[in-house]
Amino acid sequence: MRTLDAHQQFATLTTKEKPEDYNFEHFRTKHFVQDLQRTITSQGIQPGELAPDFELPQVGGGSLRLSDLRGKPTVLHFGSLS
Amino acid sequence: MHFVDVMIRQAHPGPGVRPYRTFDRKMTDAETWQREEAIPYPVLVDDLEGAVHQVYGTLADPTYLLDSDGRVAYYNMWTHAPTVHEAIEVLLEQGGRGVVPGGIDHVMHLLATITDGWKGLRRGLPQSLIDIETAVPGFGIGPWLGYKFRPLLAPLTLRATPLPKPVRLGLAAGAVLATLLYVRRQE
Repeated sequence: MRTLDAHQQFATLTTKEKPEDYNFEHFRTKHFVQDLQRTITSQGIQPGELAPDFELPQVGGGSLRLSDLRGKPTVLHFGSLS
Repeated sequence: MHFVDVMIRQAHPGPGVRPYRTFDRKMTDAETWQREEAIPYPVLVDDLEGAVHQVYGTLADPTYLLDSDGRVAYYNMWTHAPTVHEAIEVLLEQGGRGVVPGGIDHVMHLLATITDGWKGLRRGLPQSLIDIETAVPGFGIGPWLGYKFRPLLAPLTLRATPLPKPVRLGLAAGAVLATLLYVRRQE
């Protein structure tokens, strides 16, 4: 079975936020409610599923492909400056 | 073990941490993040539309533990270091493969936020504080107070490893007792 990469999966997501909504100007109650909804409905990649592959630029130059890390367990964390 | 961070959108924008309009700005912030938080492992930068972030659930602070084959072994929806620590230990006991029993943690752990959430919020002052207090009252002032009492609270809130079981049971019993006393006083 062919595995969709993150960008292909992104195109199939119905919950996709528009760029201007994704990079919101103000944190509002609706964002908190969305966080609660996402938490309750377990939005994201489920245990046992193959983590969708992606390649992203990294600080210091170059890029890193997630699938290149296979062979050892990986802790993958998402976060922001604020 | 590999460790990787992915830089996503601003969680609490403000004058000093504007919503991203260019990728260069996001990369610059990722450099600042790695330096200020002294992150010793790779920091990746998602694109402006959050293509990877949105596939991985769009939450503000999640951690995935992937097994050696690249499958999700554990999904900690609101990063809590002691929970991730425990999951790593179980995964390693399993030889680095398979799903960790439980598989997913939905709890909105806010213990670390109480003492360290302010570090993020203060980068966007004053707007970040006004916005969050308007959206969810107490979620701005709480971390401010928590940061003031950081030396006192940190041993509990910023632990990387789980509290010993007797201590956890004691704290849970204390919380139940305090709630019961409070309810009885109200009657």
